[in-house]
Amino acid sequence: MQKIMNSVKDKQKNITSPTPVLAAGYLGPGLRPDHDADWQEDLLPLNVDDLVLEIVGQPMRRAGRFIKMVCCGALICLKKIPSDLLKNKKIGIFLSTGLGNVDEILPFITQVFKHDGGFPSPNQFANSVSNAAAFFLSRICAINGVVLTVSQEELSFESALWLAQSYMAAGEIDCALVGGCDVFTPTADDYRQRMDLRPDNSRTLFMGEGSSWFLLGKNDAGKIGDILPVLLDCGDNGLPVLSAGENILWECSEIISSTGGQSKHRILLPGFRLSRFDASFWIENGWFVEDYLPCCGIHPTAAAFGLVRAMLGPGNGCYVHYNCHTSGRRAIVAAVKS
Amino acid sequence: MTKSNICIRGWGAVTTLGWSAEESAVNLIAGRVHPAAACLSPHLINSNYRAFEIPYSGGSLDKARLMLNSVLDEAIKRAGLTAAEIAESCLLVGTTGGLFIRNEYEFTETVRCNPQKETPAIACRNRGPGEVSDWIVRKFGIKGIAMTFSMACVSSSHALVVAAGLLEQGKIKRAIVVGYEPLLNLTLHGFASLLLYDDDQCRPFCKRRSGMQIGESAAAVIMEQDVPIICRAGNTDKEKPPAANKHVYKFKGGYLHNDNASLTSAGVDGVLVCSVIGQTLRKAGVPLQDIVAIKAHGTGTQDNDLSEGRGLWKLFGEKLPPVISLKGAIGHSLGAAGAVETAVWLSCCEKGIIPRSFGFTEIDPEIGFAPSQVNTPAACGAYLFTYFGFGGTCTSYLIIKE
Repeated sequence: MQKIMNSVKDKQKNITSPTPVLAAGYLGPGLRPDHDADWQEDLLPLNVDDLVLEIVGQPMRRAGRFIKMVCCGALICLKKIPSDLLKNKKIGIFLSTGLGNVDEILPFITQVFKHDGGFPSPNQFANSVSNAAAFFLSRICAINGVVLTVSQEELSFESALWLAQSYMAAGEIDCALVGGCDVFTPTADDYRQRMDLRPDNSRTLFMGEGSSWFLLGKNDAGKIGDILPVLLDCGDNGLPVLSAGENILWECSEIISSTGGQSKHRILLPGFRLSRFDASFWIENGWFVEDYLPCCGIHPTAAAFGLVRAMLGPGNGCYVHYNCHTSGRRAIVAAVKS
Repeated sequence: MTKSNICIRGWGAVTTLGWSAEESAVNLIAGRVHPAAACLSPHLINSNYRAFEIPYSGGSLDKARLMLNSVLDEAIKRAGLTAAEIAESCLLVGTTGGLFIRNEYEFTETVRCNPQKETPAIACRNRGPGEVSDWIVRKFGIKGIAMTFSMACVSSSHALVVAAGLLEQGKIKRAIVVGYEPLLNLTLHGFASLLLYDDDQCRPFCKRRSGMQIGESAAAVIMEQDVPIICRAGNTDKEKPPAANKHVYKFKGGYLHNDNASLTSAGVDGVLVCSVIGQTLRKAGVPLQDIVAIKAHGTGTQDNDLSEGRGLWKLFGEKLPPVISLKGAIGHSLGAAGAVETAVWLSCCEKGIIPRSFGFTEIDPEIGFAPSQVNTPAACGAYLFTYFGFGGTCTSYLIIKE
C-alpha cells in the first residue's frame, strides 16, 4: 500500500493545483443544453441548426456540424457568466477533439475520389482543419490570445485540461475555456472502427456525441467547484481491470485525500475504455458510481461530458473520472463540486 | 528578460532534400534543390499537382512510418539520449493530416487490386491526429505525457512553444517535438480548391508569386531546460556520449497568438505580424538589431507574403536582416513546418551557413524587399522564426546560437 501511495505522490509532482470552475455547460446527442435528453443511435446525428439559432443567435451557414456543436457547447457554458466578469481578462481556448471534423472531411474526400471528377468544396476543406472550429469560437466570443486544439484520441479532453491548468498556473491567462467535442458521423460501425472499439478494449454501449465545456478561472468567488489535479501517466501494464482494481481505487482515493476532499462523497465516473468495469467492487469500498455514458454514448471526448454533467448535477462530492487508452496510458481527473 | 534556459539538444528531419536534417542542409547549402514535380506515391490520384515529394519506392504507409522513424532516430542520436532519458521524455506532436494517409492508401490499393469491381466509398478509419503520437510512444518507449496539436500550418511550431513553456514551468523534464505531414490527396485537392496552389513554382515574396506548393516532410526537435552536459564545451563525462552539436542552441521568446479577424489571412497590412514579432522580442529581451536573420513563413501565397513582408518591413525598416523562406526549396510542410524548418535551419547553422531563399525573381513593390539570394555566414546570435496559419494562428520564436 505504501508503494502505491508513494507512486501517487511521485506522479503528483507533475500535476497541477486545483482550479476553480466558474461555469460549465454541455450538449449530448439529444441536443438539449445541460439536460439528459432521450436519444437513439440510429437516429443520430440530429439537426443542430435550430439550436445554433437559439444559442448563437444567427445561423452559421458556412460551418459544418462539428463547428456548430463546438460553438453551441462553449456558448452554453459562457453565457452563464456575466460578460462583465470576463472583460479585459486574458482568456485561452483549449478545444479538444479525438477525431476532429470528420463531419466535413468525409464529404470532401469523397468528392476528391469520385471517378468522374467531383467538386470538392473549398469551404469544407477550410473547415475540415481541426482548429477551424476554435477559430469560429474565438470569433464569436471575441477571444484573441492562446487558442489551442488538442487531439489525443480518448485522452484528448484530459490532455487539454492538463494543459489549460498549466497555462493558468504559469500566469499566461486569467481564464480558460476548456472543452471536448466529437460528433456522430455515420455509420456507427465506421465510427466504432475509427475509435478502435472492440469488446475486449471498451465498454459495450451506443455511439454518441457531445460538446461539453468548463470555464476555469483563478478566483473562488462564484465558483461552482474545482478541478483537482489532472493525472496523466503511461500505465505500464496495459488496460486496467477495474473489477479487481485495488490499486486504481487507492490512487483515486489518494488524489482526493491529498486535496482535502476526504470528507465528501466519492463518486467514480468510469470512462468507456474500462471494459471490465465492475461497479460493485467500488460500491463495496464506499464509493458511489455515476455511469454517465448512457446519457451521451461513446465518443472520444466523453470524459468532458461526464465531468461537466457531474458538476451541474444535483448532488455534491468528489468526482473522479477515470479512463485509459488502448496502450495503457491513463488519465484521472478529480473534481469537487462546491 | 525571461529566465528560461531552454536548450535544443537534438533534431532530425526528412525532407525532399534528404533523409536527414544533415543531408537536407548539405543539399540546401549546395543549391541542389529540385523543383516540385508530379507525384509518384501510389496513393496520390492526380499527378497535376506538383509537390515536393520524398522519393521512395515502396508503399505509402511504409514510407510514412519510415519518415517518423528516421527523424526520431536522427534526433535521438544527435541528442545522445539514453533509453531511460527517452522513457522520461514527453512527446508533443504537430500534425494536420496525421495518419489520414492510411485511408487514402487503403482505398487506392483496394481499387488497384480489384479493377473489375465497383469502386467502394472511401472510409475514414484513422483514429484522428493523435494516432501519430500513439505510434511513436509505443515504438520508442516514451512514457511521459503525449499530446498532439492539430492546428494547420502552426501545429508543430505551436508545439515547440508549448513545450518550451512546460519546460520553463518545470512541468516536464524533456520534450520531443515532432512535426509530421505526409502528402495527401486531401490537402493537395484542398489547397487547389482554395485556389492557393501554384502548379508551376513556389515563389516566396516574389512579385510573380501565385501560391504555395506542398512539401512532404517530418522532423523531431528535442528540447530541455538547461544545457545538458553533453552539449557543454569541454565535456569530459565519459559516461555521456560526445556532443554531436558544435554549438549550443537556445529557444527563447516563444509566443503564440490567435487572431479572429480572418480564417485564412493574417491581415495584409502587416500590423498583426509586426505585433506578434514585437511580442517575441520583448519576451526574449532581445533587441531588434540583434537579429542575425529571419526564417520567415513565406508560403508564396499572395496574402501571406504580403502581410508578412509588410509586417517585417514595418518593424525592421532599412535594418531588415536577411529574410529566408525555405518553402521554395522544400515546399510547405503544413503542420510539420515548424519542426522541419527549425531542424533544417539548425543543421545549416551547424555548417556555419544560412541558406538562401529559392524561387524568387522579382521584387514586389508592395513588399519592398527581396529575400536573401545568397548563402551567408551563420554567425552566433538570435534567429527569428515566424509562422502564420489557418484560423488566425501565429507563432514566433527565437533560437540563439551560442
